[in-house]
Amino acid sequence: MTERALRLATAVLALAGAGVAGYLVWVRETGATLVCATGGCGTVQSSEYAEVAGVPVALLGLVGYLVLFSAAFFGGDTARLAQAAVALGAVIFSTYLLYVQVALIGEVCDWCLVSDAIVTLIAMLALLRLRVAQAPPASSIRPADSA
Amino acid sequence: MSSRRRLAAVLVGALVLGGSLIGASRLGAEEGAASPSEPLPSILDGIPQSGNALGSPKAPVTLVEYADLQCPYCAEWTHRAFPPLVDRYVRRGRVRIVFRGLAFLGPDSDRALRTAVAAGRENRLWNVVEGIYQRQGHENSRWVTEALLAEVAGPRAVASRNAPWVVAAMADSSRAARMAGIAGTPAFQIGKTGERLQTLPLSSLGPEGIQPAIEATLAS
Repeated sequence: MTERALRLATAVLALAGAGVAGYLVWVRETGATLVCATGGCGTVQSSEYAEVAGVPVALLGLVGYLVLFSAAFFGGDTARLAQAAVALGAVIFSTYLLYVQVALIGEVCDWCLVSDAIVTLIAMLALLRLRVAQAPPASSIRPADSA
Repeated sequence: MSSRRRLAAVLVGALVLGGSLIGASRLGAEEGAASPSEPLPSILDGIPQSGNALGSPKAPVTLVEYADLQCPYCAEWTHRAFPPLVDRYVRRGRVRIVFRGLAFLGPDSDRALRTAVAAGRENRLWNVVEGIYQRQGHENSRWVTEALLAEVAGPRAVASRNAPWVVAAMADSSRAARMAGIAGTPAFQIGKTGERLQTLPLSSLGPEGIQPAIEATLAS
């Protein structure tokens, strides 16, 4: 898989994640009814774990996805490293929030599960992108090198 | 930069980011727990609570109350008999009361009880029970609203009311009621603390319905 394909896939996933997070921010700000298959979204979104230092977790997610989306458009090493670090950090925080939902709140928000899946995929792609960028291009391997 | 150093940089960055967010989240949750909704002045002020128990753990007599938070007779008992009982026995360290909540009257019972049990982890179950009885509505008229629960219990208890440990505590109370042969509420068991409890026939919903049994157990 080429780095270009990985960047494209990451951008698409980040856009989808931003859509999920943006929807949750919109519901929070407008007070609209939250579509929820598990029935636990309202409890989770109104819990005190739905904010970090006064900032809604959904808004943090939206910002995070936009950072990941932006990093997909830059080809430098800094962008690759930042993308991987942010994605892995998000996976760590998502895992903690999943624990909070299951063990402390006792309800699960399906939008959070979708976001968890997206951010995990992005982290995997970001690590793969690092690996691909590190590998020498195939054309640079001469027959003598592999002998 | 070597691939090992790049990976290390990514991991450090991820741990700093994830760890900071988790730390801030936990700090916010703990602050929320430390400042629940401002409690009203209550007859319970100054009395120790631990989970579902009210009063000193060293009290010589334990009284177990089985109640449904929608049950009007339970509310009446709480209004009439509970305050003098608290002043005369619990505040003085002579009786410890354990709340065993049941939810057989309907969905409002269940929602109210879950929240009260959840508040037990903050040692505020009795405050929530008192607050709910003060606001009791018609049976299953959906009077147990989110606003009511947030007002009497605070956001942390409301948020954790469906947690597995709440469900387990409720099941434990139901099991205890079955084993005690409890058929209606309010119902009581009484005994020396740490010893076998006896089911108490309740002759009245006023203090006179329970004081003789408490005095007899204290004297035994």
